[in-house]
This record gives sequence, structure tokens and C-alpha cells, in this order.
Amino acid sequence: MTLFSLSSVQFDVPGRRLIDGLSVDVPEGRVTALLGRNGSGKSTVMRLMSGQSQPSRGTVSYQGRSLPDWRGRDLARSLAYLPQVTPSTDGMYLQELVALGRYPWCGALGRLGRDDHAAIDRAIDLCGMAGLRDRDVSTLSGGERQRGWIAMMLAQGARTLLLDEPTSALDVAHQVEVLGLVQTMCHTQGLSAVIVMHDLNMAARFCDYAIALAHGKLCFQGPMEQLLRPPILHQIYGLPMQVVTGHPHPLTYPIA
Amino acid sequence: MTLWRYVGLGAMIWCLGAMWMAQAMVPIPDWPRPLTPAAQLSLDQLRFAFGFAPRLVLALLVGAVLGLSGALMQAVLRNPLADPTTLGVAGGAQLALVCATILMPDVLLWGRGPVAFAGAALTTGIVMILAARQGFAPVGVTIAGMLIGLLAGAVSTAVTLSQGHYLLSLVLWTGGSLVREDWSGIWRMGAVLACGAIGARLMLRPIAVMALGSQTAVALGVPVAWLRAGVLLLAVWLSASVSAEVGLVGFVGLAAPAMARRLGARRPGQILLAGACIGALLLGVIDLALIAVARGGGPALPSGAMTGLLGGPLMLLLLPKVRAAIVQSHSAPHRRERADLCVFWLICAGVALAAITLVWGRVPLGWGMLPTQLWPQIVPLRAIGLLAAGASGALLASAGAVLQRLTANPMAAPEVLGVTGGASLGYAAVVWLVPAPGPIALALGAGVGAACALAVLLICVARADLGAARVLLAGLAVGAFSSAVLAVMTATGDPRAWTVLGWLSGSAARVTQTGAVALCALALLVLGVLILARRVLEILPLGTGIAQGLGLRGARLRIGLILLAGLATGAASVLVGPVSFVGLMAPHIARSLGLVRAGSFVAGAWILGAVLMVLAAWGARSMTYPYDLPLGLFATLIGAPWLMIALLRRRGL
Repeated sequence: MTLFSLSSVQFDVPGRRLIDGLSVDVPEGRVTALLGRNGSGKSTVMRLMSGQSQPSRGTVSYQGRSLPDWRGRDLARSLAYLPQVTPSTDGMYLQELVALGRYPWCGALGRLGRDDHAAIDRAIDLCGMAGLRDRDVSTLSGGERQRGWIAMMLAQGARTLLLDEPTSALDVAHQVEVLGLVQTMCHTQGLSAVIVMHDLNMAARFCDYAIALAHGKLCFQGPMEQLLRPPILHQIYGLPMQVVTGHPHPLTYPIA
Repeated sequence: MTLWRYVGLGAMIWCLGAMWMAQAMVPIPDWPRPLTPAAQLSLDQLRFAFGFAPRLVLALLVGAVLGLSGALMQAVLRNPLADPTTLGVAGGAQLALVCATILMPDVLLWGRGPVAFAGAALTTGIVMILAARQGFAPVGVTIAGMLIGLLAGAVSTAVTLSQGHYLLSLVLWTGGSLVREDWSGIWRMGAVLACGAIGARLMLRPIAVMALGSQTAVALGVPVAWLRAGVLLLAVWLSASVSAEVGLVGFVGLAAPAMARRLGARRPGQILLAGACIGALLLGVIDLALIAVARGGGPALPSGAMTGLLGGPLMLLLLPKVRAAIVQSHSAPHRRERADLCVFWLICAGVALAAITLVWGRVPLGWGMLPTQLWPQIVPLRAIGLLAAGASGALLASAGAVLQRLTANPMAAPEVLGVTGGASLGYAAVVWLVPAPGPIALALGAGVGAACALAVLLICVARADLGAARVLLAGLAVGAFSSAVLAVMTATGDPRAWTVLGWLSGSAARVTQTGAVALCALALLVLGVLILARRVLEILPLGTGIAQGLGLRGARLRIGLILLAGLATGAASVLVGPVSFVGLMAPHIARSLGLVRAGSFVAGAWILGAVLMVLAAWGARSMTYPYDLPLGLFATLIGAPWLMIALLRRRGL
């Protein structure tokens, strides 16, 4: 079953073509890593898939329906997106942030009902943040804050999470914490996730499927273990890479 | 060297224009020889020798000095938006001169130069303290400078208006007129330019190293702090000399180096030299054009007002080029647990205060209660003024609260984002176009103007996808443009301009009972709408990505909220005038009281706005008893120092 299907998508900004004839299918129920060098178009693809930007040419469809045909709120109930830089939240408590995730369900005026409160509690519990409900989000550590945002996405009730470099500002321990959470969510709750990643070893550990871009074009698509081969990595990063057997995942590192 | 070819072309155009104008005035054979005694000249020759010729030379000199000053500031601050106008230097000089003229005329015996320099140095010092706190990040520095400039401008307007009889000459001076009747100013300006050029040449090498950034410069052994101070002092002195000689000539210092870079100047020395040349030619050509217009029977417009028109659009063009390094302020305010309780106490305090100001204040013999037998006559009258003032304060505060939420920036406000500037343009348009306009037409005009200014702002911002701080800068640019248009209007000397000028200070005296009730109804309506929209206001500051991800129809909501803010500002500014800083102060105070959730924030700001304006109305009534000061003016006098303190306490904008 395909979750997203991009067919000959092209995206231009004045003077540059960021995405050039990209056709790719993203499978459902998996943790998909979106890989590539800086400027290869990863974040652009994320924005296209979340409907934040419209392609100049081609179509992006989600669950078999082209994105422009989705009503804003229906899409939000099914698809959650976390931008690369999370905004500052000015005195908001964690539970209030998570409660914002119920917006697609209760709108600007509707009261938060029992279902809504249940969803909020469940999201907070799933992210293991029950003890931090009344903490100001800006006082949380980087990993906790990122988990809080993921809790908001879960409260949204979305079955699909799009995360743009959720671990870029985190240390190794927090990276494991956040990615582990997403992986557990997908495997136990049946969610799907697409994550923009830079660290190949983290991707190998937490993702089951990989899509790699180079210069706005598709470079590789397939299960994670097929990606971890020197010729393919060379193609993606333009750098000779070595893969050594590790346990439970192979390890990669650049040779040059 | 295409750069110098362009400069040569410009010089040629200027020469041809000047020759043509000159021979139209006095045929070439009759041109007076240099050093001919004045007694031997005919009237036309006299006008040529002591009016036309010095004006041409002065335009070139002033342009060159401003171009050099701007180029120096831009080089040493690494900020393409730096300019005597955007850094508040010119505003400070103006304020000092206005204050000296009105309050201490004796000081001017020492000459206008030192006074202007003192004012300019003071404001620049403040701006630089602010700048140092955020590591001289271009956007932040420019915002601080423009805010200080706006503030200085507002205070000088207030001082000017409070002393009506000096008005005319000051307004003309503010316009930056180059009209001359002798050569004395030319020698002074020439000397200034020469000193400036020598100083710039001496500091050229370290300035070039500064282009690599202050950390690299330190590593290369440049005493960055001293260099920065020295160059800025030179640039400030240059621009203050211009202010003292001819008044405000806006944005030449911004435009000239920008054009120099555009035409291919790269090295700092090149930019300084070409900036000065282009500045000279720019002002020279503009001045020639204005002379031609005046000779053709058009209005005699001052050149400074015309160059001011360049500023706004130019800044909007340059904005996308500015480095986006913005120091994020992480000073989340302390949050209050019982926000509802706080709002309740605010309401109580507001009502009590309003009741007190109704009956207590200045009476013929000192301070005290109004005698009870006078209550039936006076209290209803005062109540109308009070209601109107409170409602307009609440409206401005609501507009400020919405804008702060919309741009996720605690320094956003109708005064800062150029909304009130747009409102004053709309007001002026109605005054100009409609014969004998009524208050509703004026309110509508101001409202539409405000909404238009916001729309322009949002179009610019949306196209370039700018960050929150740059939105502020774009707003300040829009505001600068509208005040330049107003300055040109005033400079034409049309009697309708005085209507607009009187309105700029704002007055509660003109309000009628119907007007007060209508304002109150509008204020309550706006409050209701905002309380209903509180969840939206909670999500919008998180950015378009999050908002759209949550299924919020961002564009439509934004437009709706913008119209609401525009309408509120327009309605309020008909009474209060365009600048009062209540729209900035009230939401800010609400935040610092710990009201951070959207609902309590909006409600708190609304009440605080009303309270501030009621206080201002009371002060305006009591201060110069038995005369009323203009309401907006008094609010500005309260708001200005407060804003200064708030700015100094902030880290990052």
C-alpha cells in the first residue's frame, strides 16, 4: 500500500530548480528515511508532501488522493508535520502545546470534549512525559521539547508523521530517545513516518525504508539494508564509503 | 570600469541639466564673473550668483557628505541598511535642534552644528548600546535605530505642536530645503566634506578588514571597538553637520552606497568614493528637477522631503539581501497562574481609576475634587471624553495584540508596523479629496489607509519569506514612506495640510457623544471577536508550518485579522492621531504581567490600553490647565520614555 505517491514532480524557485522530475512511492506502515546531501531537496520534498508548498509541475497524492483535493482539516487529522526549526512557545505549558494538536478536531470555537482530553493524555503518556505536563515548554531540554512536539502530532490523531530533521540539534542520547519513540510508535501503533536524516548509522538503526535524493532527483529507493552498500552510498554522497558489519546493524563511515 | 562610466554619465546629465537651467535664467554671455561686486549685478544676475549657483553646489556637497556618511556606517556595521536616517542619527539631530529652538534659544548662539551633533551623538550612543547587546546583527540594529528615530520624530512633533507659533519655520526646516541666498554654508559644507574624506582615507585599511566580520578583524589585530566608535563618530558628525546646515535629507546615505554596489563597486574604498560621488549626483539631479518644477509654476518642494520618498521602497528592496542572523530572545516572561484573577483586578483598577479621573484633578486652586454642585454640568462632558479615550486606547491595544500574535514578535504594534502611517495617509487623502469631510468619512479613510499599509507590508513579507524581525523592518519602511509623503504634503504649504498636521497630535476635545458611543461599541466588538478567536491566536505565532499542519486556513484568517487590526487602528487614530505607542505598550505590559495565553493576553492588553489612554486623557487635561493638550501628544510623551527603557532592557529584538 502506498502512502505518498509523487509523479514527475518538479519544483522551481526563481532561478533554480529544486526538484526535477521526481517520481517516488512512500510505503505505508514503515519508518522511511529521507536521505541526501545538503541542498539535495529533502526539506522541499517534505514541504511538498505536507502540502505546505505546491509543486510547479506533477502531482503529489496522499492515500490515493491528490493533495489539493484534501480539505485542510481532514488532511491535518491524518497527516502531521514537524518543521526543521520548531518555533518558540512563549510561556506555553506542555499540556497546552499538546492540546493545540486537537485543533483539527474541535476548531477555533469548539470545546475540548472527553475524546479530546483522552487523546491528549494518551499522547503525553505514549511520549513518556506524564511528569512534565505542567512544565513551561521553553524550560524543557532539547530532547524533551522535541518529544513534546511529537506528542502534539500524536494528539492530532494523525496516522502519518512527517519529521524534518527532528534530531539535528540533539546530542546522541537525545537522538536515540526521539527516534526510538518514533520507531516504537510506528511498530506498535501502526503509524507511518517519514524522517529527514543526516546520520546514516541512526537511519540504519531506526528506519526500515530509505529514499535518497541527489540534485533534486531520485537516487535510491528501497529497504534500508539495500542502501548500506558502498557503490550506492558513493552515488548519494559523492564520497567513497565503507560499510563494516556491526551488530545488529552494519556501520558506515567515509574513507576519504 | 563600468562603475566610473555610470558615474561619469550621471555627472554629464547633471552638467547638461544645470547648464540648461542656468542659461534659461541668465543667458550665457551675461553670466556674472566670479568676485564681481554685488552692486554691479542686475537682479537676475544677483539671483543667479547668490541663489541658484550656491544651491547647485550645496546639493552636490550635501549629497556627497551623506553618501560618505552612509557608506562609512554600512562598512563598519556590515549592514546594508545603515544610514543616518535608519540609525536614528538624523532624528536625534532634529530633536536637539527643535528643543533648542523652542526651549533654549540661547544655545543656538554657539551655532547649530554643536547642538545637532550633541543630539545625534546621544541617539547614536543609545542605538549602539542596543546594537552591542545583540552583537551588531544588522536587522536588530536597524530596527532599534528606526524605533529611536521614530521616537525622536514623535517627540519633536509633540514639542513643535505644543508651541504653535514656531511651527512654520520648523516644518520648513524639517523638510530639508536647499534654498540659499549666499555662499557661507557652502564653505562650511565643503570643509566638512574635506575633513570627512581625510578621516575616511586614514581609516580605510582597518575598515576593509572589518568587512570580514568583527571576530576575524580581532584575530587580525584590529581594535574593533575603537575603530567602530571612531568611524561611527565621524559618520555621525558628517550627518549632523548636514542636519544643522539644511535640515533632514533622508535616505541619500542609504541609496548612494546601495547604487554604488549595484553598479559594481566591491572594495570598501571603491564603495566609499563611489558612494560619495553618487550621493552628490543623486541629490544634485533631484534638486535640479525640483528647481525645474518650481520654475514651471509647480510648488516649491524641499529636496529633503523628496529624498525621503526614496527611503521606504528602497528598504523593502534591500531587505532580502540582509544577513538574517537574528538573536532569538529566549526571555519567556514569567507566567501567572491565575490569569483570570489578574484580569479581574485589572478591570477593577481600571474602573476605579476612570471614576477618580472623572471628578479629581486640577481645579482653579491647585488639585482636588470637582465641587459637587458642578457635577451635573461637567461630569457628563468629561465622561464622553473619557469613554472615547478609553475605547480608542483599547482599540489600539487590541490591534497591537493581534499584530504581535500574527508576527510572533513582541515589538510589533500599529505604530511600529506603519499601520498608523497608512492611517494618516488615508486621513490626508480624505481631507484632500472630499470637500468638508465628516468624522465617519475620515474614520473610514483612516481605516482603509491602515488596512492598505498592512496589506502592502504582508505582500512584501510573503514574497520574500522574511523572518519576524524583518517584518518589523518592512513595517518601519512602510511607516517611513508614509511620513515622507506627509512631509511633502505639508511642504506644499496647502492650508489643508494644517488640518492633517493638527490631527497628527490627536485630540479628545472634538469627540461627540455619538462618536464616543460608536468607539465603545467597536472596542467591545473587537474584544468579543478576539476572545472568540483566541485558539487561532494561540496557534498563529507558531508559524505557517505548524498552523497549516494543524489544518488552519492561514491565509484567510490572516487577512481577516489584518482587516480587524486595520479597522481598529483607523477608528482609534481618528481620535488619538497616528503615534501614541499605546498599541505597543499595552500588550507589552500585559505580557510582562504574566498574561501569556492568548485569551488573557488579549483581554489584559485591551484593559491596559483603555487605562493608559484614560490616564493620558487625564494628564492632557490637567497638565496645562485650563488648556487641553492634544491627547495623542500626551500619550506619546508617556510612551516614549517607557519604550526607551523597554528597548534598553531587552536582549535581541
